[in-house]
Amino acid sequence: MIRDKCFLIIFIFLAAVIALFLLVPLVQLFINVGPVKLLDALQEKEVYESIFLTLKSSFYAVLFVCVTGIPLAYLLARYDFWGKSFVESLLDVPVMVPHTAAGIALLVTFQNGEIGVFLKSIGLEFLDTTTGIMAAMMFLSAPFLINGAKEGFKKVDVKYEHMARTLGASRMSTFFSIVLPNARNDILNGALMMWSRGLGEFGAVVIIAYHPMIAPVLIYDRFTNFGLSYSAPVAASMILVSVSVFLAIRFVNNRF
Amino acid sequence: MLNVENLFLQKGEFSLKKLSFNVEKNSYFVILGKTGSGKTMLLESIAGINEIEGKIFFEEEEITTLPLQKRGFGFVYQDFVLFPNLTVKENIVFSSRYKQIIDADALFLDIINFLQIEHLLERKTTHLSGGEKQRVAMARAIYSRPKLLLLDEPLSAVDPTFRNAIMKSLKEIVKRYDTTIIHVTHNFREASYLADHIAVMMDGSIIEQGESNRILNHPKSIEVAKFLGFKNIFPSSLLNENTLENVFSIDPNAILFSYTSSLTKYCFKCVIEDIMGISDHYKVFARVKEHLFFVKVPKHMFAKLDLKEGIKCYLCIKKKDIVFI
Repeated sequence: MIRDKCFLIIFIFLAAVIALFLLVPLVQLFINVGPVKLLDALQEKEVYESIFLTLKSSFYAVLFVCVTGIPLAYLLARYDFWGKSFVESLLDVPVMVPHTAAGIALLVTFQNGEIGVFLKSIGLEFLDTTTGIMAAMMFLSAPFLINGAKEGFKKVDVKYEHMARTLGASRMSTFFSIVLPNARNDILNGALMMWSRGLGEFGAVVIIAYHPMIAPVLIYDRFTNFGLSYSAPVAASMILVSVSVFLAIRFVNNRF
Repeated sequence: MLNVENLFLQKGEFSLKKLSFNVEKNSYFVILGKTGSGKTMLLESIAGINEIEGKIFFEEEEITTLPLQKRGFGFVYQDFVLFPNLTVKENIVFSSRYKQIIDADALFLDIINFLQIEHLLERKTTHLSGGEKQRVAMARAIYSRPKLLLLDEPLSAVDPTFRNAIMKSLKEIVKRYDTTIIHVTHNFREASYLADHIAVMMDGSIIEQGESNRILNHPKSIEVAKFLGFKNIFPSSLLNENTLENVFSIDPNAILFSYTSSLTKYCFKCVIEDIMGISDHYKVFARVKEHLFFVKVPKHMFAKLDLKEGIKCYLCIKKKDIVFI
């Protein structure tokens, strides 16, 4: 019994160290800023516009990956094919590369390269546009959604699909009526992870689209030009809004 | 009705080896085999889940490459595979989203009454017992009005106390819903109660098929006899009879011990080698020449005969109890 207690005490102590490390800076930020400055920041047009742009760009990136990445996740979960390991490794590369390097790669591809010229001809510009912001966020955060969805699909026994089809459902109907609803939690978690990861993206975005300013760029801009007291309320506002949205989505998901 | 011709399927090391058989309309066809013999793989191939070599005909039409949703076969898996995102009722009527069900409302009411699942309809499937899940899975399959119902070990995950009731329902389904059933199982008792016809599978091959009574009472091969639980399989030469069959089998309950050699037509000198007491009988192992017979002796008979290990007596068999294989 005494040994059991020692074990628990050691583990609780170690857990508390990391939990406090993660929590205290956030709490400290809010204490330093205070409610008055926080409210002022939230009412400032430049601030709320940049926060809204950040939320919107990341959300569009998630939507795009839902349409394209979920089919990829399904294929990876259900089929064994030549080069599958390579594709899976490739998906993890964006998580490893420095974000500024990812920004440079996107700039080279979508602004200067032949692909960029083609996309420009159909009206898709990346330099200093919302599309560019979305691309930068998507490049670095898509693996969270794709890998989440892949794990979700793996948990749905392929027998459910066979069963639905014996009952008359086509493959597409089976996917939408059985596979997707039963993988919903993992997909939603992946989407939330991707979305929240996109909100914090700075390195790649600042290379491809300094303007219009998303919140992380605005925080950096104010910090370098005006100092800590001007950037901290923006940072606190951004954290408050994104945590609120994140919790709201989690709450809704748990209810249904 | 269903004709399977030279069905071949390789999956890793295992294969279904050019299987051929026919299933007649409105019959109850049981595929009997040990775990790992390829029964489920065969059933999935008939359903259209696996791509196969060979041909499958259903009502004279070739369906070998027909997508499974167009075959119109019902399927019940061993673990029932009820959709967890739907309620019991939604599971049962799932097929009505994709095809027109004739007399859907009347059929639905009939099924839920027949399988006694009315009280479960609004429940989530994750909270059902094994027996309840089995009945819901059956209801879902029947509601789709299948011309052929494929059952993969449907009783293996069901509490033994409900098994007899469910077996009774299964037997009734063929007539009540005008369908045909292919049922795979490793349990020959299930097969003996349900089947009109039986195919015995071993290691990806059908080694014997035919009318249920014939297979269960007079198997043609030793492997099938052993699988069906036949004991005391010995060469026919022991009986000094001229028969075409090489071996015979005798039920352990049908063997008698005696101290005289004239009790029945066949009486052999034997030595009692081993005795094991079980609740209501004794298991006695008696050696006749180089053959060891297994005999079940009721307690009262055991006491009367005063059998002991090492004693010599006669082991007697009636001719009518002998099964030649």
